[in-house]
Amino acid sequence: MGLVEDLAEKFKNDFSPELLRSRLFWRTARRLARSRWNKPDWQADVVSLSYFLAKTQQAFLGQGTVVWANLLFPPELLHAAGACPFYPEMASAVVASLGLSPRFLDEAASAGFTRDTCSFHRTALGAASGGFYPAPAMMLSASYPCDSASHTFHYLAEKLGSEYIGFDVPAHPEPASLEILAGQFQEAALRLGERTGRRESQVTENLRGALVLSNRARALLLDVEEMRRARPCPLSGRELPGQLSMITAAFGTEEAVQFYRMLRDQMAERMQSPDAGDADGERARLLWMHLRPYYPNGLSDWLEERGARVVCDEFALCTWEEMDLDEPYLSLARKVAGHFLVGPADRRARAMAAAARDYQVDGAVHFNHWGCRQSCAGAPLVRSRLAEAGIPTLILEGDCVDEREYQEGQLRTRLEGFLESL
Amino acid sequence: MKAEGMRLAGEKEGTRQEVGWLCAYTPVELIEAAGLRPVRIFGDGADSDEANSLLHPATCPYLRACLAAGQRGSEPRALVFANSCDGMRRLHDAWKHFLGPDFCFLLDLPRRVDRAGVGIFHQDLLRLRDALESFAGRAITPDSLRQAVGDWERARRELRASADGLDGVERVRRSIALQEKGLSWSLPVHSGEGAGESGVPVVVTGNILRADGLLALMQEAGCRLVGADICSGDRFFQDLGIREAALEGLDVDAIIARLAEAYLARIPCARMSDGSRRHVHVLETVRTNGARGVIYVSIKFCDSFIYDFPRLRAALDAASIPVLMLESDYSDQHEGQLLTRIEAFLEILRENAPAGRMC
Repeated sequence: MGLVEDLAEKFKNDFSPELLRSRLFWRTARRLARSRWNKPDWQADVVSLSYFLAKTQQAFLGQGTVVWANLLFPPELLHAAGACPFYPEMASAVVASLGLSPRFLDEAASAGFTRDTCSFHRTALGAASGGFYPAPAMMLSASYPCDSASHTFHYLAEKLGSEYIGFDVPAHPEPASLEILAGQFQEAALRLGERTGRRESQVTENLRGALVLSNRARALLLDVEEMRRARPCPLSGRELPGQLSMITAAFGTEEAVQFYRMLRDQMAERMQSPDAGDADGERARLLWMHLRPYYPNGLSDWLEERGARVVCDEFALCTWEEMDLDEPYLSLARKVAGHFLVGPADRRARAMAAAARDYQVDGAVHFNHWGCRQSCAGAPLVRSRLAEAGIPTLILEGDCVDEREYQEGQLRTRLEGFLESL
Repeated sequence: MKAEGMRLAGEKEGTRQEVGWLCAYTPVELIEAAGLRPVRIFGDGADSDEANSLLHPATCPYLRACLAAGQRGSEPRALVFANSCDGMRRLHDAWKHFLGPDFCFLLDLPRRVDRAGVGIFHQDLLRLRDALESFAGRAITPDSLRQAVGDWERARRELRASADGLDGVERVRRSIALQEKGLSWSLPVHSGEGAGESGVPVVVTGNILRADGLLALMQEAGCRLVGADICSGDRFFQDLGIREAALEGLDVDAIIARLAEAYLARIPCARMSDGSRRHVHVLETVRTNGARGVIYVSIKFCDSFIYDFPRLRAALDAASIPVLMLESDYSDQHEGQLLTRIEAFLEILRENAPAGRMC
């Protein structure tokens, strides 16, 4: 066993709630992130890593009002209120990448949560119950993209003694319903402000500032999308680990603007470089739907080695219009309710068919994460719409978090056959 | 069971177009007021495989059973789905896309029961009103809606009276008959035979069950079901608390606002934000009926009830009420295994064991 494996193993054995609350741990983590050992291909990932390390450190060390949120809750509101955001679903992905999820999945099972549910949420249940996630002052969840988030938050709020607010996002974004959602966000601003010591008017004013930053990051994200449509695509799916996290959690901050500016500029450089490659090197352009396994695996590299490049990721897409500073809460309501994961699956299916055309993909892969009802149960419809657009779809069964369910050989065999058919 | 009895609203069967519904939060009154006939669909739990190509196999078997029945053409061509869970929403999506029904409506259902929740539900009931009017080709008037509310309130009340004192299996059977047949159903005359005193008194709680599957098995094992807190059972008996006379002079919009409020105020499903109100209800049902334990039944892959169980179990543990957790695949084909578990649980209850649980 090498030095890195030794260290990883020691880290796994010593991992404890106390360790996560020690200053030494976070100092070491940040030092490692800055060290010469961490040289990502994309400078933007340095921004992303440093942002999330700082926020997570604050959350664990109690240096702010910790507020948990789910994937579709608008981050701009949390930043405007001066909260210290924490995303348990994203944390589960990090836990999986460190090879720690089985331990927490087992703890969730012993608490009565069967393996028929989503492993992102079961990991969160196991980890949070054991004190491995920072204690929340508040928990906020939008009713999309899935039911599991609301259920998980509700359960943990009772267990951890935290305030919980659920937000009903209308399935049909009509004006009267959007007004009601905007009202829910405004009430949340008041409650958040009470927690963080800010008046509602101050939160609203800060929100306008957050929307300015969010709009700037969005414009840069659109530039990045445009570049990814090029042949050859300068950025493959495996190379953007920070993107989903930024879209979920950092819009409304300077760091998100910085992240996308650096990504755009480096992509532009790469496109001009003699090493940019040519379109012939892309044997297959793929659209990837849902997520990929987060635990260490060789799937993405294996795809790249075969000239199959993921040029479009469902969850890295911009799904909302520029926000209006004069109607900050209504803008947030439109942003959330307009997401294609809200409401009927046909909305998502049509968005995927449009993306497939825009990015000129040859095929699409839908990763059926076990227990994700909203996604798996909609996959046949998505495949049907993509077929109408002339795009073949492969539906892969798997689990993004539970490494014990991973069977790379089986996945490769199915992908191999699919790539040949393209 | 006698088939003779009182016809609930003097309706002749088969004269009106049927509109299928699936979730107990569907306001059947609106469908009725549009001159259509609301019928709950249940599918056949033993025959759902053909739905697997359109709805992932790890989706609620009740929903897959309904879709399979739709694929066979044995369900109505008009349907109202409530957006009660991810699975139900996807059932709507698949049905609409692959089966092409004549009428297919997704009714939004909030989790919150406060002003915002009632507001969202009210808005979507107005949307449902418009869609039903357009489909039926006739307007929903204050009179027709008031009468539909009154008829359904009476039907539930009469059903409750007719089932008073009956064993849970029979109560569920009657509840399902009303849901399937609507107001045209002939309410059976109370035979005078109650649940009797035999059997161990137990409350069953969960999502949806047929009377002839797992519930009958519980009875066979020696349970006396003194409460059936399931959406195909006692939860459907609940009064909305709206009297027809109180709706006099209100326009359709205002009556719909009352319906929105009333539906969200009923004993909640586990998916609602005030789900703990159901826990209190279960505890009360146990106490008032002298039940010795609770059997919790969750349909497989039902996230709402899977996540709810540890919370309810904690409340039952705190009250020293034993609980058995069973999972149903809606076909209830593993009878032997289930029977053994129920019998073992009853054994513990009979021995009057101190607080414990079997799950």
